[in-house]
Amino acid sequence: MVYQPPVGAKDLFPLDVAQKRWIEDRLQQVFHGWGYHRIITSTLERLDTLMAGGAVQRSTVLQLQDRDDEALGLRPELTASIARAAATRMAGVTCPQRFYYNANVFRRANRGDFKRQQEFYQAGVELLGAGGVGADAEVLLLLADCVTNLGLSDWFLVLGDAGLTRSLLSAFPDSQREPVRRAIAHLNRMQLETLPLSPELKARALFLFDLRGRPEDVLQQVSSLDLDATQHATVNTLKALIELLQASFTREHQVAPSLVLDLSLIQTFDYYTGIVFEAISSHASGQRILAQGGRYDQLLGLYHPQGMTSPGIGFTFNIEDLHQVLLPTEQLPQDTPPSDWLVVPTTASAYAAAFAYAQTIRDATPAMRVEVELNGVASADAIRLSARDRRIRQIAWISADAAPELEALAD
Amino acid sequence: MITVALPKGALLTESIELLQSIGLDFSAFLNPANRQLQIFDPTYTAKALLVRTQDVPVYVEYGQAQLGIVGYDVLREKQPQVAHLVDLQFGRCRMSVAVKKSSPYRSAIELPLYGRVASKFVHCAHEYFQTLDLEVEIVPLYGSVELGPITSMSEAIVDLVATGRTLQENGLIEIEVLFESTARLIAHPLSYRLNQDDLHGAIEQLRSRVGDRLILNK
Repeated sequence: MVYQPPVGAKDLFPLDVAQKRWIEDRLQQVFHGWGYHRIITSTLERLDTLMAGGAVQRSTVLQLQDRDDEALGLRPELTASIARAAATRMAGVTCPQRFYYNANVFRRANRGDFKRQQEFYQAGVELLGAGGVGADAEVLLLLADCVTNLGLSDWFLVLGDAGLTRSLLSAFPDSQREPVRRAIAHLNRMQLETLPLSPELKARALFLFDLRGRPEDVLQQVSSLDLDATQHATVNTLKALIELLQASFTREHQVAPSLVLDLSLIQTFDYYTGIVFEAISSHASGQRILAQGGRYDQLLGLYHPQGMTSPGIGFTFNIEDLHQVLLPTEQLPQDTPPSDWLVVPTTASAYAAAFAYAQTIRDATPAMRVEVELNGVASADAIRLSARDRRIRQIAWISADAAPELEALAD
Repeated sequence: MITVALPKGALLTESIELLQSIGLDFSAFLNPANRQLQIFDPTYTAKALLVRTQDVPVYVEYGQAQLGIVGYDVLREKQPQVAHLVDLQFGRCRMSVAVKKSSPYRSAIELPLYGRVASKFVHCAHEYFQTLDLEVEIVPLYGSVELGPITSMSEAIVDLVATGRTLQENGLIEIEVLFESTARLIAHPLSYRLNQDDLHGAIEQLRSRVGDRLILNK
């Protein structure tokens, strides 16, 4: 029989790994540079841990049953795990805590999805225990720094405020609020038009549906609404954040994104409490979401035994999407690195000498890649040919008693 | 540059007329000699892709086209993640349940438990009978669905009805309407949010042309 991987699974070969590592190294450099530390949490979580925040649906989790019949799932994202791990330890540690992660996540493909991938890789950060404009700005500037360090240009930062938009939706009667929110979240204007709303509320719903564009324009538009004191304060905070971002993005070495303020950027569930954002690359071949995130100031409380909450904000990069966007730019490694030396025992009795010689080269220059030829019966010419195929430039011919004969292969 | 996915078949002529009314001319697709699947309008401000109607939301969902024109029936059937923007008011038809005229059934709920229903719209059919709480077997077909009841393979069909002539000529009658369908303007959600190349302007122009036409027709 032929053993096949499960539907939606993927094996990564050395070149795939080299390219993935390139991306992860670039991100990690930035994470380290901003003082973030790596956290590793369990791949398996209890299903209720994963679903507590309301952003994860049971149907999208790959589930397992443990011996005590407890429902477990493979994590579909990292924030729930990090919030669970950190919530109980927030007391007594100095805030804020800066975490980053680089891990695999799993999503069950929807019914009807034909062979969609189920295992993905994500890298991201969580900044816990810090709220306010400063923390929001740190995370967004860190995101911009990551995009710059990946050598990407032509990108958009779409910024929304889930808290503000939710508050603007409170003008709708209870029975209509959820349908209006769903229609806006899914950009379904047709649905919005058919809801039984009064003319004023319909106008307001359509106003919210297209409340996006240049930040200055959108801030002015939203200020034209009849805002209460809290909403005013939120708008002013948002304005301060945008001004801070715009001042920082003009720094010369940054590849500044085009900033779009989009107050229709909401989810159908209450998870994010403040700013929400997406980093989108835009090229002739289309647009793609590179990273997304937001502020979740209620989440940590769900995992704390006494319900004590702390602010939190984070984002995650989808490594596969970055890979797709970076491939045509030819920045990614095009080959796995070749070995520097091929050490060939010329007789069966020369293996000990060959392994010893290979080790002397490795010890002399730590980064050297040295292979020992294992195909003892091959002719010298066949070995040269195979070395050339594998882009190895130097051969050391080893016999049991004589000195090594070194040969440099010509191009 | 804005790319529009246009559906082959019944909606094509009116889709092209509508785009012409905002200055985008893709009438080359109507030339019977045309074999090109991708054309630019003569001013090179936009591009159109000619695809099967079921594929329109696919090109839009993946962002290869920022805009698309497609029947609501296809959107209901395929549930693509696209922005639903304007009811274009043409291509009006309804998704209906039909049975043989000679059959005893005069409403969907009278259909026999575990009966067979032939359809090209398996998702719509499944969803509808689920809301009725009537267990039926959906038989997927790709065309000439009317043959299902005629050959007695199925008790009923779920299909699009425009004038009702095809049903009549094949001895079928419509017993239920699932929903009404018209052509819709859809957009790639990210493109809609980013609004490059004045996508929003083009959408609003189309919306106002549709409004003008409605007033004219009244």
